[in-house]
Amino acid sequence: MEQSNDFEVRTLKIRSQTLQAIYKNRVLYLLLLPTVTFYVIFKYIPIYGLQLSFKTFSYAKGISGSPWVGWKNFLFLFQQAAFWDALRNTIVISILRLLFSFPMPILLALLLNEIRGKVLKRSLQVVYTFPHFLSWVVLSGIVLNLFSSTGAVNSVLMNLGIGKVNFLLNGKAFRALLIYSGIWKEAGWSAILYAATITAVDTSLFEAALIDGANRWQKIRYIIWPELLPVVITMMIVRVGYLLDGGFDQVFNLYSSAVYSTSDILDTYIYRLTFQSNAGFGVSAAVGMFKGITNCALLLTANLIARMAGQKGIG
Amino acid sequence: MAKMHGSSGRKGRMTIGDVAISAVLVLCALTILYPFYNAIMISIVPMHVYVRNPAILWPEEIVLDSYRFVLSYHAIWSGLKVTGIVTLAGTAYNMLLTVITAYVLTKTFPGKRLVQAMMIIPLYFGGGLVPYYLLIRDLGLIDSIWSMIVPTGLNYTYMLIVMRYIEGLPRELEEAAEIDGAGQVKKLFIIVLPMALPILATYTLYYAVDRWNEWWNGMLFIKSAEKQPLQLVLRNLVQDSTDASLDAQANGMTESYSDAIKMASIVITMVPILVLYPFLQRYFLSDLTQGAVKG
Repeated sequence: MEQSNDFEVRTLKIRSQTLQAIYKNRVLYLLLLPTVTFYVIFKYIPIYGLQLSFKTFSYAKGISGSPWVGWKNFLFLFQQAAFWDALRNTIVISILRLLFSFPMPILLALLLNEIRGKVLKRSLQVVYTFPHFLSWVVLSGIVLNLFSSTGAVNSVLMNLGIGKVNFLLNGKAFRALLIYSGIWKEAGWSAILYAATITAVDTSLFEAALIDGANRWQKIRYIIWPELLPVVITMMIVRVGYLLDGGFDQVFNLYSSAVYSTSDILDTYIYRLTFQSNAGFGVSAAVGMFKGITNCALLLTANLIARMAGQKGIG
Repeated sequence: MAKMHGSSGRKGRMTIGDVAISAVLVLCALTILYPFYNAIMISIVPMHVYVRNPAILWPEEIVLDSYRFVLSYHAIWSGLKVTGIVTLAGTAYNMLLTVITAYVLTKTFPGKRLVQAMMIIPLYFGGGLVPYYLLIRDLGLIDSIWSMIVPTGLNYTYMLIVMRYIEGLPRELEEAAEIDGAGQVKKLFIIVLPMALPILATYTLYYAVDRWNEWWNGMLFIKSAEKQPLQLVLRNLVQDSTDASLDAQANGMTESYSDAIKMASIVITMVPILVLYPFLQRYFLSDLTQGAVKG
């Protein structure tokens, strides 16, 4: 009896302490109100709206009032060849990016660290990061011109005797163009994180290595790389979590119907399904749902694997 | 980048390796720059020069007809006006949310982890296009400039870096103000914000660039031509295969042609970023990246 009483008193005490803390911090909650409101409206209401993937949308009844149809939208979707094309393309492009775009900033940061002239190093960084600040609308305008059949690149290829490559209309070449232009825009920017990590490496280690007569490769392999690896793995996990995002802004501004078969990704497919077809909003929402769930599952799996391998993972 | 590990102890002796690395990196830099250079060249050379060789290294003849055409094109000006409003209002709104949230998250209070989780989950899972479109429609923002401002809210990464910066500020002034009876709001605006000015300036610019680059919400929600943001006007100009009509419109200008007009519009849209760029790149390799690494 006494014991349970004691327990109750303690619970009450803790509860009143919490209430006191809440009251003491009431201004903080008030300050957070706009942000929380923003998140609820613009991030969580759309998640609630995902129920449309199990409904047939009716403009008159709205999201909540639309009738449930079970898995119908998904079954319809899985019968669309264009969906499977988009899914396959998204995965292929993401893997190509993981293979070619992902290592670029790491390589760039490692090479930049070897540059001794301060002015040269700074100038290179300034150039590398510049395209990051431009939109894909601007960059695609330049890329479409440069790689068109009458553009500068093809004129150089002709003069070299290689012959024309139809980058914008040839499926395989277009994929390569996506990877290449993606590196052009973001490699320099992504390198900053790795460069900052390298800068943070303990300088005394380098001096010790130097005394031991370590060469450039040994210095990178045995001093820098161990420090860089956790960051690389974290970035890798995050990238895997976005595997089904093929880079909408880029693809949407560069592609055309000629290259749908190799470069239509899930996000561009959703866009056309929503606004340029009569499949209904329910079906588009189903693609969104499929994408979101798969991405999340991939993120958690990658994180789990990293942790099992003894790495820190994310979060 | 204060420290340069490569240099310690080996000053003045350039090895073949050093030269090779520098050469590779300089070549990369030229490859990155050339597309921009070529776009500028196309925008200023007459058609016959461009047709003869589109990979222009040096302009033999310069004509500014394309710029004259673009600057007389009313959609560019209305786009500029809309983007101007979106950039000013959007950046102010983004910064307000960012600063307040960053400040509050440096404090301890019940439910803090819940708030953090609420902000992190949407980074990895969202409703996607259709629910978003219907939300904006239900909010009555279709064909409203607000549809390009309100949904932008705050950028979690930017907020996190501002938060880390505020965390790193000396606490003494805040404590002194507390003794004087200053509340949270007063402390934020009188004590913390002035000290955080460098990072706030940086992120104001980052948000300004993001809002300047707005086209997606515009494409989804804006119906009236005069409310289209600049990037969308540019997109219509660059993407639509209306080269012939563009050529016809430009008929009055003897030496302008569709490709030059497109490149001239692109260059004009890039100018503000070019002007801001020295300020944008000033900080991103110093304190703030250190902050990002800590996480």
